[in-house]
Amino acid sequence: MIKLEGISKSFRHKLAVDDVSFSLEKGKILGLLGPNGAGKTTIIRMMNRILFPDKGAILFDGQLLNQKHLQHIGYLPEERGLYKSMSVWENIQLIAQLRGMSKADITLNYNFWAEKFGIETWKNKRIEELSKGMAQKVQFICTVIHQPEVLILDEPFSGFDPVNIELIQNEIKTMRDKGKTILISSHNMKSVEELCDNVVLINQSRKVLEGNINAIRTERGENIYAVRFKGSMIAFVNALWIGFELVGKEEVAPETFIAYVKMRNESTFKDLLKTVIDEVEIEAAWKVLTSMQEIFIQEVAEK
Amino acid sequence: MRNTWIIIKREIKERLRTSSFWGLAILGPIFLMLLIFLLFHFGESQKTKWKILVADPAMVMENRIVVSSSDQFEFDFLNNYLETNDFVKGKRYQSYDGFLEINEKVLSNKTAFFFYKEKPSLKIQTKLHYLVEKRLEEVYVDELTDISLQKFREIKQPINLSFRNVLDPKNQKSDINSWVGWVFGSIILFFIFVFGMTILRSITVEKSNRIVEVLLGAVQPKQLMFGKIVGIGMAALIQLTIWITLIGVGMFIFREQFFQTVNDQALSGNLGTNSGIKDVFGYTNILEYNQFVELIFQRINFSVMLFYFSLFLILGYLFYGTFFAGLGAMMGTESDGQQYVILIIAILFIAFLSGYFTAISPDSSIVQWLSYIPFTAPVVCMVKISQGYASNEIYQLFLSIGILLLSIIIGLSIAGNLYKRGILRFGHRLHLKDFFKK
Repeated sequence: MIKLEGISKSFRHKLAVDDVSFSLEKGKILGLLGPNGAGKTTIIRMMNRILFPDKGAILFDGQLLNQKHLQHIGYLPEERGLYKSMSVWENIQLIAQLRGMSKADITLNYNFWAEKFGIETWKNKRIEELSKGMAQKVQFICTVIHQPEVLILDEPFSGFDPVNIELIQNEIKTMRDKGKTILISSHNMKSVEELCDNVVLINQSRKVLEGNINAIRTERGENIYAVRFKGSMIAFVNALWIGFELVGKEEVAPETFIAYVKMRNESTFKDLLKTVIDEVEIEAAWKVLTSMQEIFIQEVAEK
Repeated sequence: MRNTWIIIKREIKERLRTSSFWGLAILGPIFLMLLIFLLFHFGESQKTKWKILVADPAMVMENRIVVSSSDQFEFDFLNNYLETNDFVKGKRYQSYDGFLEINEKVLSNKTAFFFYKEKPSLKIQTKLHYLVEKRLEEVYVDELTDISLQKFREIKQPINLSFRNVLDPKNQKSDINSWVGWVFGSIILFFIFVFGMTILRSITVEKSNRIVEVLLGAVQPKQLMFGKIVGIGMAALIQLTIWITLIGVGMFIFREQFFQTVNDQALSGNLGTNSGIKDVFGYTNILEYNQFVELIFQRINFSVMLFYFSLFLILGYLFYGTFFAGLGAMMGTESDGQQYVILIIAILFIAFLSGYFTAISPDSSIVQWLSYIPFTAPVVCMVKISQGYASNEIYQLFLSIGILLLSIIIGLSIAGNLYKRGILRFGHRLHLKDFFKK
C-alpha cells in the first residue's frame, strides 16, 4: 500500500533519516519503533507530505505519493492539536472537509463514531471545556472520520486511561480486519506486541530491524519454554537433568507453578516434556517469546 | 483551492465569533463619529447667551451696538469707568459674563479690552470682535469722514490673499484635501496593523496548540498561509464595510439633523459679502465650523476615495500580511520575536509619517519615491490621490500599484518559504540568522 524506498532527510547538517526503506502491507499493522530522536516523526511527516525526502521515494499504491493521496490517509500526530475555541463538531467537520468529505458523509460518520465512543452529547461543547482524555477521543475521530485506507498513528495511546486504551486498541484491530493499512509509532511495547503484525525499528536515523513481530520475537528468543503444572516444584527440578536449566518460576495457585526452562545442548521441547511428565501434572506448556521491550533495549543499547 | 477556501471560511468564522471583532466594528465607527462631531463643534461655547456690560465713559458707541436683538449677546451700557476689581466684587455686576472696556481714544489707538469671567470660545470672541469693529466703523465714518458707511466698507474690504500653487491654479491640491488623504491612509495602516497582528497571533496560537500539524496533513503550508491571510483579510473587509456603513449613516444623520441649514447656505453660495449683518454672520458661522462640514459633505469625492481606499487597503494588507505570516511561522512561542514585531510597527510608523510629509510637501521629489516604495505606497498614494494626480502624472499611480502588486507576489513567495520552514519548529528562540538559513 505504501512503500518507502531509500528515503533520507537532513536538517541543516543533521541527518534525521538515513536511507530507510520499508513497506506497509494492506490489512496489516506495522509498528514503527525507535528511541526518542531516532527519526520516526520525520519519517511519518514525510509519509504525510508535511516534509519531503532529500533522497528516495515514497509510493502509494505504486504511484509517487502526491497531495491527492492524502485524502486516503488518516494522520494522528504525536502532538495533538485541536482548535480550543471551536466545538467538537466544528473541529471534526473542518478536518473532514479538508480530507475531501461531503457534509452529509461527515454527519453520517460523525454519528457513527460519536455513538461508538459515547460522546453524542459533546457535539456543541468547545474543546477547551473537555478533559485531555475527552479531547484525545475527538482527535482520534478526526483521524478516522473520512474512513481512510491508511492510518498513521503516532503514539495513539498517550493520554488515554486503560479502559480507553482497550477501546482504541479494539478499534484499531477492527479497522485492520476491515483491510485498512495501519502504521503505529509507539513506546508502549505491550500494545505493539498485542497489535502489530510487523515492526520496523529505527535507531540513530537508520533502520536496524524489520520483520514479522512473532518471527523476530522467536528468533531473538533464548529457547526458553514455560511449563504450567500441578505438583511439587522440588520433584520438577529434580527431574531436570543436564540438558535443561530452570531460569525462573512462579506460584500461580496453591501447588500450581509455572516453571521457565531453558534448553541446553541439543535438548528439545519434546525431551523436556518426556522428562517431567511422570513427576508432575502438566496443565500447559509454551514457548516463551522475547518481549519487544527486551529486543528494543538490546538493539538500542548495543548501538 | 478547495482546501484554501475551507481555511478562508474558518478564519472568517473564527474572527466573526469574537467579541473584539464586533467591539471594533461597532465602537470604532461610533468613536470616529464622536471625533467628527467634536470637530464639527470644536470651539462651540457651552454658554448659549453672553450678557455683556459695555463700559463706555466717553459714549463713543452712543450706547448701542449694531445688532439690536441677538440670541447670543445681550449688551448693557455703563457710561462710566469700571475697574476690574469692582466688576468682580460689585453685586450689580454679578449677572454679567464680562465687560467690554471702550476707552475714549479707541478711534485712534484701535484698542479695546474684554474682561471675562469664563473664557469665551474662539467663535464668541470672533463674533464679539466683529460686532465691536462694525460699530466702531460706523462711529469712525460718521465722525471722521464724509463718505458713506457703505463706501467705507467697500474701501475697507479686506483683501483675501489666497496662496495657490502655480501648477494648481484651481487649488485642487488644497491642504485640507491632503489631510483627508492622510486620514484615509492612516485608517489603512490602522487596519493593516490590527489585522496583521491577528495573522501573527493566529499562526502562533495554531503552532502552540499543535493543530498546525493536523492541518498540514491535509493542506500544503502555502495554502494554509494564503488561506489565513485572505480569510483574516476578508474579515477585515467585513469590518470595514460595517465601518463605512455606520459612518455613512452617521454622516447622513449629522447632515440632516445638525448642519442642514448651514450647509444649504454654503451650497447656495450666499456667503454674505454684502453689508447685512445677518448675512455676514452667516458667513462667519460657516467659516468657523463648516470648512470641515463643507469638506466632508462637498469636497471629498467619496466614490473615488473609497475605491482607492479599498484597493490600497487590500494591497497594503496583503503586502504587510506576508511579513506578519512569515514572522509568525518562524516564531518559537507566542511571546517570542517581539523585536521583529516592533520592527514592523516602526515601518508602519514611517509609512504614517511619509503620509504626513506628503501632505505638507506634496511637490517634494522624495514623495514620488515614497509612492513607489511598497511599504509607504498605500498612505502616500492616498494622500496624492486626495490632492489629485495631474493627467500627465497618472502613470505614477499605476506604477505604484504595479510595484505593490509585484512586491506582494515576491513577499508571498518569501513568506511561503519561511512558513514552510518555520511552521513545524516549536519552542525555540527566534534569531535573525534563522530567516536566512536554508
